[in-house]
Amino acid sequence: MRLLLIEDEKKVADIVSRGLRAERFAVDVAYDGSEGWELASAADYDLIILDLMLPGVNGTELLRRLRRKGCNAAVLVLTARDATQDKVENFEAGADDYLTKPFAFAELLVRVKALLRRPLPSRNPVLRVADLEVDRLSQQVRRAGKRIELTSKEYALLEYLAANAGRVLSRTMIIEHVWDQSFEGLTNIVDVYVRHLRSKVDDPFPTKLIRTMRGAGYSVGEDGEE
Amino acid sequence: MNTRSLKFQLLGWYALLLASGFGLLGVATYVALERSLTGAVMDSQLRRARQLVPLLLEQRQPLGDQRLGEEIEARYAPDRNDRFVRISREDGSVLYLSAPPIDQSFDPASLPPPAWPSAAESSRKAPLLGGRQMLLTSHKVQAPEGMKYLIETGAPMDDVQADMRHWLTFLGVGLPVEMALALGGGYVLVKRALGPVDRIAASAERISSSNLSERLPVPQTGDELERLSVALNHMIQRLEEALQYSRRFVADASHELRTPLTILRGEIESFVQDPRLTADRREQLGSVLEEVEHLTHIVEGLFAMSRLDAGEAQSEWVRFDLAQLAAATADQMALLAEDKKIRLSCVANGGVWVEGDRSRLKQVVVNLLDNAIKYTPPEGAVSLAVKAVDGHAVLEVQDTGIGIPAEALPRIFERFFRVDRARSREQGGAGLGLSIVKSICAAHYGRVEATSTPDKGSHFRVELPLAKPQTKQPFQNS
Repeated sequence: MRLLLIEDEKKVADIVSRGLRAERFAVDVAYDGSEGWELASAADYDLIILDLMLPGVNGTELLRRLRRKGCNAAVLVLTARDATQDKVENFEAGADDYLTKPFAFAELLVRVKALLRRPLPSRNPVLRVADLEVDRLSQQVRRAGKRIELTSKEYALLEYLAANAGRVLSRTMIIEHVWDQSFEGLTNIVDVYVRHLRSKVDDPFPTKLIRTMRGAGYSVGEDGEE
Repeated sequence: MNTRSLKFQLLGWYALLLASGFGLLGVATYVALERSLTGAVMDSQLRRARQLVPLLLEQRQPLGDQRLGEEIEARYAPDRNDRFVRISREDGSVLYLSAPPIDQSFDPASLPPPAWPSAAESSRKAPLLGGRQMLLTSHKVQAPEGMKYLIETGAPMDDVQADMRHWLTFLGVGLPVEMALALGGGYVLVKRALGPVDRIAASAERISSSNLSERLPVPQTGDELERLSVALNHMIQRLEEALQYSRRFVADASHELRTPLTILRGEIESFVQDPRLTADRREQLGSVLEEVEHLTHIVEGLFAMSRLDAGEAQSEWVRFDLAQLAAATADQMALLAEDKKIRLSCVANGGVWVEGDRSRLKQVVVNLLDNAIKYTPPEGAVSLAVKAVDGHAVLEVQDTGIGIPAEALPRIFERFFRVDRARSREQGGAGLGLSIVKSICAAHYGRVEATSTPDKGSHFRVELPLAKPQTKQPFQNS
């Protein structure tokens, strides 16, 4: 999979490209619009990550030109602006997804993978983490063969964690996926739900699956699994 | 009427000046009139006395005292003319005394004998019965043989007194009428002159931070009030510029902070992944990440507010049921309350339609409920109610929490304001929750207000305009 990152902020470009390379993507980096245009014209990319605030050229304009030229790559737009009008304008210009700065790298990765239609850790209807089973069809949860009753929010939270097993999910990501943006940043709602989830999923068992990564968020996985 | 208002004071001073002016004028005319009338009577009496001088000097010797009296009566008939004449010698003995007038209006004999005057001519007043007065004039005469006489003439002051009484009546009736007319006119004038001030004040009061682009009406009169309203308008413009500058600054600053925050976060996140890190180091980095997260929330809150304040919230304007939204949100937050053993109740029986940005208004409910739960001790209660009142959608959140001290109450909607810094920091949050609520409400043409009793609880009330009833409801069944 070949990715093109067009980002004028060198440090942001470094972090993103480093992280993506660690995930075994081939990443080319362009630090301005014209370089991005040249690279995108020369090679066939699967995905372009495009920062909108580029020196010299407007990111949205660049995106339009790429689409007119027949570029089929999925495009993920990075921006510091998150007004709905901007979003609409960029979707119309041909963007496939949108991510607002500042973002957690994990979130970027989830979106990149979704855009590339690369299967997320599991598309299997039954998610398995150690002896935990999450059945996405019947929405039933078992651990060590024993059925665990969860409320719908608890289930949604556990499914999101299990589907991204081994990955640290930030509170912001969890809120956006399990609740909605209105809850962002204001409540300890994630912590409360995780505590309730733990009391049902972890407390009765010797091995703990839900881990807290201070400052980063939560993850589900067996100890040692990364 | 406000006794300290300019209108009242102007009118008061005006009335005072007018009353004293009229009063002085009345007294002055009264005195002058009386003098002039009395003077006229006195002059005619003195003239008569002078006419008697040659008669006295020339006829007394040939005629004798008795005939002299008859001569006087024949010539001047004082009894028929209501006049008084008395001629006395220096020793006080009376040479001649006129008879009482025909109508018996006074008795000449009862008038007091004269004190010998020093001046050649003088006058005095003597009281008569029934409050009447008589004016007496005296004229000294020295006969060639050395005898001295005093000729007194007099006339009752009845006419003068009647005129003065008429004048007093006229003043007594005329002055109040004049005062009333002048005051009425003054009131109309003052009202007309100060009317524009009232209008300027009323328009100035309507202008707040949300409609600073409005201006006061400028009366095209060329007077001080035009200057005042123009000056006020200039001031409002400077305020508007300052406010715009501050909003732009917040928007720019929060925007500029995004990229460094992304870098900071990305670097630390990748650093945390390093397996060689000790647990202690990982913990420290986690703490740094928490602060980055906190900072991110502040930046996003500020940015969201600057956009709301700039009126950029109208992009997702839809019609929806606030009651239903509130009930669903309360449901989503039920566990938060349950976790603290707080009873969360919701009275929202549907059908309270408003227009606006759904997710923004949901944020209002989330922030208010979160606040209520945060500041209510375990075993307390939080209630949420949505209803339509007088054409407004009203959303209320009531808690049994620690409350807000009265002195802090007016400031709780300010950015970063915290009642108790130490405790709030521990509770989390960026100190922007309520100011975001206020900005969202303002962007939806509504308002939010709070009342509170410390240790009893707080009450937040959000008021939004109801959506206009839809005429066509094609999707509604039943």
